Parts: sequence; C-alpha cells; structure tokens
Amino acid sequence: MEEEKVYGPFEVDQRIRAHSTYYAGRIGSRFYTELRDRKRILGSRCEECGKVYWPPRQTCGRCFSLLGEDRLVEIGPLGTLETYTTVRYSEPVHPRKAPFVYGIVRLDGADTGTAHFIGEADPGELRIGMRLEPVFEEDRKGNILDIRHFRPVR
Amino acid sequence: MSHESAEQELIRIPITVDVPYRFAAGNYMSRFLIELRDNGKFFGIRCPSCGRVQLPPRIVCAPCHVRNEEWVELGLEGTLTAFTVMYLPLTDPTTGEPHEPPFTYGSVRLDGADSNLDHIVHLGDEYDSAWVGMRVRVVLRPREERIGDLSDIIHFEPLKGQEKPGK
Repeated sequence: MEEEKVYGPFEVDQRIRAHSTYYAGRIGSRFYTELRDRKRILGSRCEECGKVYWPPRQTCGRCFSLLGEDRLVEIGPLGTLETYTTVRYSEPVHPRKAPFVYGIVRLDGADTGTAHFIGEADPGELRIGMRLEPVFEEDRKGNILDIRHFRPVR
Repeated sequence: MSHESAEQELIRIPITVDVPYRFAAGNYMSRFLIELRDNGKFFGIRCPSCGRVQLPPRIVCAPCHVRNEEWVELGLEGTLTAFTVMYLPLTDPTTGEPHEPPFTYGSVRLDGADSNLDHIVHLGDEYDSAWVGMRVRVVLRPREERIGDLSDIIHFEPLKGQEKPGK
C-alpha cells in the first residue's frame, strides 16, 4: 500500500483569444457611416406598428415588417436615462477599465433603449429619467464608440 | 433596390475577444496535473463497476455513475486512434496563441487507459505520414519548465522502427 500523499488544490491559468469580424449589414452600415461622417444618429421606423428602433434594424421585431433604407429616421441627439449600473470590476470584454457607468439610453423619437457609457457624471448624481446628451469622439472610426459616452444635460 | 445601396460603404468591424481565465482543477485533476508536473507521470482512474480507466481522471464514471477511486499509472507510450492534418492555425488554450500549420493532431490512447488524450503528433515535414495504430510516446518539457497544465506535454512522437501498414 502506498503511503498517503496529500494533493493541494490547484489552479490552472488559460487564455482564449478569438478574432472575428462583425459585418454591420446595409442598415447598420448606414447607421455607422452617418454617425462617423455627420454625427447624426439614425433609427428605423416601422410603418406598420409605429415603433422606432435604435439602433436601426432591417426587420421589425414586433410585426416582422421589412424596414428598408427608406425607413431610416434621425433620432436624438438628446435622450433619457432608462436605467444604469456602476461597473466596479474590470473584465477584458469591456472596452473600458472599471469603474465606469453603463446606462440604457432612450433617444428622443426612439421606442427602444440601447446600452452605452454614461460619463462626465458622478454615479451618485445619476437618476432614472435624467436627460442626456451624446459626446462624440473627435476621431471617429465608424463604430458605436464614435459616441464616447452620454452625459447629463447641464 | 436602388443603385445607391449597391455602392454603399459597408462597415466591417474587427473584434478580438481576449479572455484570460483561471479554473480550479478540483480534487482529481489537481492530482493528475501535480503528478504530471512533479513526476512526469500520467494517472488515470479505474471505475469499480465497468473497469474502464478514464483519462483525464473524473470523480464519477460517466457510463456507470459510480465513484471512481482506484488510481492507475499509465504508460508514456500509446497508440494513435485517430488523427487529422491541420492546415489552419489551432489556438492553444494554454496561451491563446495559434499553432502554425501544417501539423498533425491526434487522439492517443496511452497504454493502460480506455480514453484518449488529444495532442499534437510531431512528424515534422512528413505531417501526413501518420496512421491509426501508430505507436507514439509522449514528450514532456523538462521538470523545471513544467507548470502543471497540458502545455507540459510538448507533443507525441512516433516510436522508431515502425512501418506504415500496406506500404
């Protein structure tokens, strides 16, 4: 009989690195180029049920109507804070280091909210229903971070 | 559809997801990895019901649902049970770095085990010279370089003096 040997707990460090490409599609590309070139934010309006989506999409999620390029409408730039959270823990999948605030912003004229960064504000002063405005990057590259963050309207 | 949309600039956004993570190996995998690191040995676990020797060792036999308790030292040689030639880079899960193709990747049944260990089979330029049934041995990093994960295995290499059947 072999003598009893004690094996302590053991942890293994690993790493996953995956490269991929997001294709924005026709409607998504219009959204990003408009944001990059003209600092305009587009949504898409469903004529059937009247919903306005942000970001714009090609199909209405409620009634499945096709939403073509002729359904793109300018929305915002001001919006309302629907909800928010303070992220205190950095994760590699987040584009920014913690602490930062994620909020759901519903732009004026849109019926949906989208998550984005809330900046230039003390987390303690944020309130649901607060009015927000976008802050655009100077050097815009055609992605969602061309909006640096939303900040409270002073 | 208008011509305007056909000439539209289409946006592509490259995304790299880079996630370092840490897992607790648990009771049985800890013992397996510590033996591999410290002593260069492979251990499987035998099911008291069906007698299957499982590698990597798990606390429960998957077919019988009983507790495995008998540790079995396995050989450092084994038999290739399946293989493929990789022409695309394979991401090494221990580093996240791609392994440059072409190379052979195979399932090896270590002597004494009833399940397989998947790893690179080092055949150099003759990467398509493997066959099912080929005898291989495991090549480990030197003791001082071993850290207790599967990167401690550099690769499998074929035993000398074998001939591919039907050649």
